[in-house]
Amino acid sequence: MISVRRSLMLIAPLALVLAGFFLIPVLMLLPTSFGEYMPGSGLVKGVWTLENYTRIITDEYYREVVWRTLGLGLSVTLVCLVLGYPLAFLIARGPERWRLPLILLVIFPMMLNLVVRSFGWIALLANRGLVNNLLIQMGLISAPIKLMFNLTGLMIGMTHIYLPFMVLMLVAAIRNVPRDVEAAAATLGSGRLHVFTSVTLPLSAPGILAGSILVFVLTISALVTPRMLGGPTYKVMATLIYDEYMQLLDWPSGSALSFALTIMAIGIIWLSSRLTKRWAGMA
Amino acid sequence: MSTDGETHPGLGVTIAAFAVIVFLQIPVIVVVLAAFSTTSYLTIPPQGLTLSWFGKVLSDPTYLSAIRMSLILACGSTAISLVMGVASAYALFRKSIPGSEAIIAFLMAPLVLPAVVIGVALLQFYSLTGLRGSLIGLLLAHVVITVPYIVRSALASLSGLDLAVEEAARVLGASGFEAFRLVTLPLIRPGLVAGALFAFITSLDNVPVTIFLIGANQTTLPVLIFSSVEMGVDPSVAAVSTLLIVATGIVLLLAERRAGFHRFV
Repeated sequence: MISVRRSLMLIAPLALVLAGFFLIPVLMLLPTSFGEYMPGSGLVKGVWTLENYTRIITDEYYREVVWRTLGLGLSVTLVCLVLGYPLAFLIARGPERWRLPLILLVIFPMMLNLVVRSFGWIALLANRGLVNNLLIQMGLISAPIKLMFNLTGLMIGMTHIYLPFMVLMLVAAIRNVPRDVEAAAATLGSGRLHVFTSVTLPLSAPGILAGSILVFVLTISALVTPRMLGGPTYKVMATLIYDEYMQLLDWPSGSALSFALTIMAIGIIWLSSRLTKRWAGMA
Repeated sequence: MSTDGETHPGLGVTIAAFAVIVFLQIPVIVVVLAAFSTTSYLTIPPQGLTLSWFGKVLSDPTYLSAIRMSLILACGSTAISLVMGVASAYALFRKSIPGSEAIIAFLMAPLVLPAVVIGVALLQFYSLTGLRGSLIGLLLAHVVITVPYIVRSALASLSGLDLAVEEAARVLGASGFEAFRLVTLPLIRPGLVAGALFAFITSLDNVPVTIFLIGANQTTLPVLIFSSVEMGVDPSVAAVSTLLIVATGIVLLLAERRAGFHRFV
């Protein structure tokens, strides 16, 4: 055993850095979020208001952005699940020699710079991008279809970016499904599809939940892809926060939105861990 | 139907899975094609091939200083995170202080908070303390976002470790630090390599924190690409992206050969 004093000395530098450059700065946002903003002059001294928070719920524009963010999170999660499961299944249960190359082909785009990947989708989806050019050349359409700066573009880009996370979580979950349980179900007369839906799928549920939470939280927090593929007009919460800070200089409003986003993210994580515990209790 | 009753991927699943793999590589392929294209917008088939965009990037002082800045931040923050993160994980693993679960949660907290929130919090903090645009401020911000990966991988590697080996080294006369350096460290190295690689790439990739904190005359590579895309797409962006793609591919393959990287993801 090493002494308590030595342990504290080992942890102290990191704890101090995180306290000073993470905890305190985030806590300092709290008073700002109750402050009042005056266009042109910034924060008004000595005034405390709840308006920055009530506006998120009452103002139609803010509400639309919040719903759009949540809707996007949910849709991206579902699409990632549907696209990710077959691939994860192939990696977990397919031929051994395919496993490593397939995993590397999943990890490679995941490790690749987010800005680069979003840029790739811009080259594909822009009005004069590859997809539109191709469709026009083939004579299928006469004018470019709008694939960017709207839900379509964001969905495609975000799905691409978070799919690898989902696949890796699902691979781990499917590999944890005990194969003798499947064999037992088959022995008792279940068909292949029935074994999958009644044994494999339910037993991989913890991984499905974990992957979904991860993708959902990452999607609602994302800034880069929504900004690049959604443009300045099609906003989500993170890009709205960015604009409030960098363009409108409305820090009170931006910090209230930041806390709203944080509460949503942490709330989802908390809820899911409660769900998982209850699940584990039932099993 | 397989003889042993286990479920196996059928033809349909295999085809669907390969389609998804193709989907994952599409933007990568497109960026690489665009980097060699003579036209500013991509056409299929490509109108002509050129290397001139690479020349443009590699002679552009803005790109070069952004690349340098990105590398300084990524190397610096990974090194700092590695030292502080491994030290903390080691102390926590030895369970010699109470409340270790709470401390671990605190060290992981930057991973839970949306990056944009960390960005604006540090923006306000740095504006008040005059750290905005300073290298040390940027470095510490990158430490905050990279250190959870190091702590997590260090804790995971340590959890598989038998403490008796280290005790044996102590019995044979090694000091505490020697025992750690000569026995424990080599045993957890593959996990640490994976964690450090994650930290490095996280820092190299970061926009949502960095963009709030950089000064007027400095920028990192992803922030530069991010803002140049806002102004209109230029093939030099594709060229610099291609350089990043190649670099990422090489790093990934090296990490896979040296440490069996995929086991740590």
